[in-house]
Amino acid sequence: MTNSFGEFENAKLFFLIGTNMTEAHPVASYYVKRAKLKGAKIIVADPRNQALAKKADIFAQIKVGSDVAFLNGIMNVLINENLYDKKFVEENTEGFEELKATVLKYTPEKAAEISGVSADKIREIARTMAAIKPGMLCYTLGITEHTCGKNNVMSTSNLQILLGNMGMPSAGVNPLRGQNNVQGACDMGALPNVYPGYQAVTDPKNKEKFQKAWGVNNLSDKVGLMIPDMMASLPSKKVRAFYIFGENLARTDPNITHVEHELESAEFLVCNDIFQTETTRFADVIFPAAAWCEDDGTFTSSERRVNRVRKIKDAPGQAMPNWWIFKQLAKRFGHEWPSNSGQEIWDNELSQLAPAYGGIKFNRIEHDGLQWPCPNEEHPGTVFLHKDGKFTRGKGLLKGIEWTPPAEVADAEYPLVLSTGRRLFHYHTRTQTGRSGLDLILKEETADISAADAAKLGVKHGEYVKVSSRRGAVKVRAKVTDEIPEGLVWMSFHFSEGNANWLCNNVFDPETKTAEYKACAVRIDKI
Amino acid sequence: MDKKIFIDGREFAIDGTKTVLEIARENGIYIPSLCYLKKLGPASMCRVCVVEVDGIRNLQTSCSLMPTDGMKITTGSPRVIEARKMVVNLLLANGNHNCLICERNGDCELQEAAYNLGIDIPAFVVPEREEKDESAAFIIRDGNKCIQCGRCVEACNRMVVNEVLEMGNRGGHTHVICDNDLPMGASSCVQCGECVQACPVGALYEKKGVGKGRPWEIRKVRTTCPYCGVGCQQELHLKGDQIVRIKGVEGAQPNDGHLCVKGRYGYDFIYSKERLTTPLIKKNGKFEEASWDEALDLVANKFKQIIKESGPDAIAGVSCARSINEDSFYMQKLFRAAIGTNNIDHCART
Amino acid sequence: MDKQNDTMIKTIIDRYPKKDSAVMPVMQYLQKKNNNRLDDRAVETAAKAIGCSKGKIYGIATYYTMFNTQPVGKYHLQVDTCVPGFLQGADEILAHLEKKLGIKTGETTKDGMFTLSAVQDLGSCATGPVIQVNDRYFENMTVKKTDVLIDALKSGKEPENDPSMTVVSKCNILLNDRTKKDCRTLAFYKGNGGYQSLKKALSMKPDEIVAEVKEAGIRGRGGAGFPAGTKWTFLPKNDSRPVYLICNADEGEPGTFKDRQIMEFNPHLLVEGIAISSFALNAKKSFIYIRGEFDWIADILEAAIEEAKKDGQLNHVDIVVHRGGGSYVCGDETAQIESLEGKRGNPRVKPPFPANFGLYGCPTVVNNVETLSCVPYVIQNGAAAFQKIGVTNNFGPKIFGVSGHVNKPGIFEYPMGTPLKEILEAAGGVKGKMKGVIVGGLSVAILTAKEAEGLNMDYDSCNKAGTALGSGGIMVVNDTVSIPELALRTIEFYHHESCGQCVPCREGSLVIEHKLRDIVEGRGKMEDIDLILHLTKNIKGLTLCPTGEAFAVPIQAMVSKFRPEFEALVKK
Repeated sequence: MTNSFGEFENAKLFFLIGTNMTEAHPVASYYVKRAKLKGAKIIVADPRNQALAKKADIFAQIKVGSDVAFLNGIMNVLINENLYDKKFVEENTEGFEELKATVLKYTPEKAAEISGVSADKIREIARTMAAIKPGMLCYTLGITEHTCGKNNVMSTSNLQILLGNMGMPSAGVNPLRGQNNVQGACDMGALPNVYPGYQAVTDPKNKEKFQKAWGVNNLSDKVGLMIPDMMASLPSKKVRAFYIFGENLARTDPNITHVEHELESAEFLVCNDIFQTETTRFADVIFPAAAWCEDDGTFTSSERRVNRVRKIKDAPGQAMPNWWIFKQLAKRFGHEWPSNSGQEIWDNELSQLAPAYGGIKFNRIEHDGLQWPCPNEEHPGTVFLHKDGKFTRGKGLLKGIEWTPPAEVADAEYPLVLSTGRRLFHYHTRTQTGRSGLDLILKEETADISAADAAKLGVKHGEYVKVSSRRGAVKVRAKVTDEIPEGLVWMSFHFSEGNANWLCNNVFDPETKTAEYKACAVRIDKI
Repeated sequence: MDKKIFIDGREFAIDGTKTVLEIARENGIYIPSLCYLKKLGPASMCRVCVVEVDGIRNLQTSCSLMPTDGMKITTGSPRVIEARKMVVNLLLANGNHNCLICERNGDCELQEAAYNLGIDIPAFVVPEREEKDESAAFIIRDGNKCIQCGRCVEACNRMVVNEVLEMGNRGGHTHVICDNDLPMGASSCVQCGECVQACPVGALYEKKGVGKGRPWEIRKVRTTCPYCGVGCQQELHLKGDQIVRIKGVEGAQPNDGHLCVKGRYGYDFIYSKERLTTPLIKKNGKFEEASWDEALDLVANKFKQIIKESGPDAIAGVSCARSINEDSFYMQKLFRAAIGTNNIDHCART
Repeated sequence: MDKQNDTMIKTIIDRYPKKDSAVMPVMQYLQKKNNNRLDDRAVETAAKAIGCSKGKIYGIATYYTMFNTQPVGKYHLQVDTCVPGFLQGADEILAHLEKKLGIKTGETTKDGMFTLSAVQDLGSCATGPVIQVNDRYFENMTVKKTDVLIDALKSGKEPENDPSMTVVSKCNILLNDRTKKDCRTLAFYKGNGGYQSLKKALSMKPDEIVAEVKEAGIRGRGGAGFPAGTKWTFLPKNDSRPVYLICNADEGEPGTFKDRQIMEFNPHLLVEGIAISSFALNAKKSFIYIRGEFDWIADILEAAIEEAKKDGQLNHVDIVVHRGGGSYVCGDETAQIESLEGKRGNPRVKPPFPANFGLYGCPTVVNNVETLSCVPYVIQNGAAAFQKIGVTNNFGPKIFGVSGHVNKPGIFEYPMGTPLKEILEAAGGVKGKMKGVIVGGLSVAILTAKEAEGLNMDYDSCNKAGTALGSGGIMVVNDTVSIPELALRTIEFYHHESCGQCVPCREGSLVIEHKLRDIVEGRGKMEDIDLILHLTKNIKGLTLCPTGEAFAVPIQAMVSKFRPEFEALVKK
């Protein structure tokens, strides 16, 4: 997030696209609703008429996968009606002419045709956003989990830059991270192209710096594989050993049949986990790990805030902290790592190597966490990025982006569109929530459908149906709800049985390799 | 000239932003209050926080009283004490305030007020009115302990804006309702627990914590929620190493005391009997328990063998987006420094 | 049906500056459409229409007595058993109905025809006992007339109401000739010089009108006696927010039935008063908040406003008649504002005061019906003329309602300061021997017969006598009445009406009610009497709104002045 949760309550306008905060980020949604009570305007763009959509001042019920066209349509109005922030664009950005050339093709009428949102509403949204500034744009996985995910992200950034909604409080582009420490895992360099703190592995200077710090001379300057490519390399044995730390890929990744085949074909699979999962079944070795509350360390939240996580008890049996496990393995490669606690790792290693965290030390985050960038120990942390229009890369980049449809669209055989995500009462594959009593509230998966489709199919609320795609089929109860428009089916991936990932399409954004969880074609049959 | 007021003869500067109750509390002057909650602002409903102000005929509720220059306030005059005693007596009279079995014993604002006013047993008693509502998954409502302070209703509607709780009926029949007076478990309540955290008494409490520990046995530890990316700050209430309940940390960034159903109640998994407790090695298709050395050696040797045969890029790893930063840092360090590959990723985009 | 609903709901919502204000009217509409019941579906429809939670609708529905969330019979028989009704024999009617219908109070007959309820104060004090059937009143009931009523209802007919009572107007300013069939019409009103005052006012500067009203010294006729003109001058100057005028027609103080006389028989007087006042205050939108039970009177007002509008009298202001839902506390100005904003009628903490932060947070004036109805006279004849009526510091005409034990109960418009004796004589004198008299509505201290001797009916004289003029609702209590029983009826009313927000009122009224019932039913102890006095002493001035005082004062007076009667019951 460029900005912070603390700025939500005093925001004047929210543009929420592809984010169902009420269920996926409940506490963030409280602040949005409170801003509304204080008079903020809320614009929601979402295929589902979800809780915040129902509270919105303007709700654009966009078709799944039409985001780029829809956003281009809004920008078309901003440019055509001279509503964009010319001063900001001139002074702080580049690429405007290219953007203009592209979005001028997306008249409100054309955007309407693709997105299903009327041209008038697109105009209304553009005019409202131009009239009420600053505005905060938030998105979640509704934007990223598409084959055009990166383009979607860039379009949201185009829109906010065009409006000059950057570099000030209650503005910005704010992706709400789905998991507690996705932000942290990225920051820590658990990415194939960067060292901790987003320092490119291809840059010789960085290589040298890390070789020196780590006392090695063999760091690779070749960008590594991303998850889908790792998995795809398992059957061919291009990747022979696969180490999965705390992920249940056998249920969280699209096209389970295919994923399980890949995992099964791994020559040697190692897992760190706190439970046996559908994934650990394929492991050759499982290391029992400490869980939340069993180790001291930090999480980094969506707002770039490094927060302390504290130990209250030992891990059960012989289970050990994950860092300890990695340290023991390194030892067997002849590496003696000095740190013996989360604090030592952070204070003495990580924060010395990643400049953005240089000023964050455990003793500074005993209470509230600090937000990076925080380059030195006097620095108070950074509440919002790009202050005064100064972007990290220098000038803010505007880029013309063309809309592309999802890889798989509805057809005669599979006439419905399936979109997926999280529900309030569970988290991922329920390894945690399923063992914490939340099943009392939600105990099985449903296929959420519209009353219109239910009538067409002759299906009643609560009745079991078969949902199938070209990749698999599941048996779940139908949930007939006014949240869902005709033609859409919505499911989550919380339950092993009825998991949407049996159906999802294993196609990926070419650059980010994010799977298209949000769009594939399915059919529903009565059983 | 600086503006000032006098509370019980002590002089305090005022800047027009704080109420008399806030000034008194900041300076260690005890004034009981039951309906006032800092983040909800004054309610003036319980009338326990009344004080006497020179020149004003009626007693004033200090939670809503904005001081004016030169105001002279008395917090403990006989008249004030008599009024407070009556109010607390009335509340004790009209419910089942049996501290012995109450989960909030020792952490109850009504009990504290009664204690400070020297009320041991209520001066008068009228019959009980309501049933307990245990229909919800995580929250128990005990109408007989409710003092209708309205905090839960305000919290539900103004803090988390879930708009489930309301006051129903009126007068002596006023009680908290869910939706159109449904049992909580049948209502649209999402069990965020904001109401529980706001409740000054034992009228709303956590089902999971029942019988697990008394307030004076509790150790409190601050930590960060293990669920979504908001990073809510939690206050774990522990007896030994057992979590009795979880509260949001008041005043903390980013959540100022708020949590959701998962953050507040989704903690049992760490105690699950299904936890992995020993390294496991698959032999002949079956997992067998192994020692750490055995398992670590096996993995290291296999990795070394593969590196030797196929190079370090034949090994790939996925880190965890739920575990702590320090774990991810060490995993990528293992892959880069020890194994020698950049084949390290995590589900960064999901 | 749904479409018709939507149109009607939209019409209702459009009347108000803010959607939330339409919540009660929408609920009232839906209840009427739905066999007098606000069931779950209706609650949901209302919530959707207003855009709020179901809980909010249900909270409102159960706050106000007139919404039926549970099923009721085709005819909902509501017998007023509050103090005036009690004095006039309402208990006998209720007992008779229980016997005749074979059900207890609170129950519905098996055939679903009748639901029987005892209710608190319908504002028909001189015409009691009264039975409200759905939204119609049947007054001056006897056992025999009750039989006729029930039989008629059973055969699908509704008999005529008999609202007859004594009416005497010595001032002829507020009450007009109600014997004339067309007394409510614009033509009749204009024929007597109506709307001339408005015409004059519109030629004046608003400030001049305010000055004149202030000069006249009209003291608030709702009960508090605060000078209306002074209240008007509290409005902030040079404020960009809209100003609202609310006419408080939520007449609910037991013993009081004066405002309805003006509204029912002289509606244009009130409309003209509001029109002048709105002009003076620069209020473009004004409301008449009328108690929901007076549904037919609200219809009369709406018709009068429509007539006046067509006649071009109201070009400068839009007057909306807003029906309450059955709540005494909504007579309090801040509770009324809350209620008008579409909430439960909980009084607000003051400050801020309505003049600065009233309806929708805007400058607001709330004046009583009788107060506003004095305004046309003041403008037409000048403050000096108004001051010629009444006595020093207590000017103008006053409508007194006399009920209880007098021979000819009714309504009396006399100058302020008229001796109580003279008014009681006009009401045919006391029936039997006077034990005491309540002179200002139920919330004032009862006077013993001796204390009432020589009392003049104005604010200052009543204060001096240790009571208050209040709303001018005079209830005479003769020696057949047990004061402990009277006290129990009194506290029952206030406990029933307490909004439930603040502890001393909510819980205090409950405990006092329990203790008084114990005493009346022979379970009382001597210390209960002292406990009641302890509570009333401390509750006075401790509550969020005046309701605490409204029962603490009369209960304290009854117990302390007639203590031997309470002690006698305890000793028995």
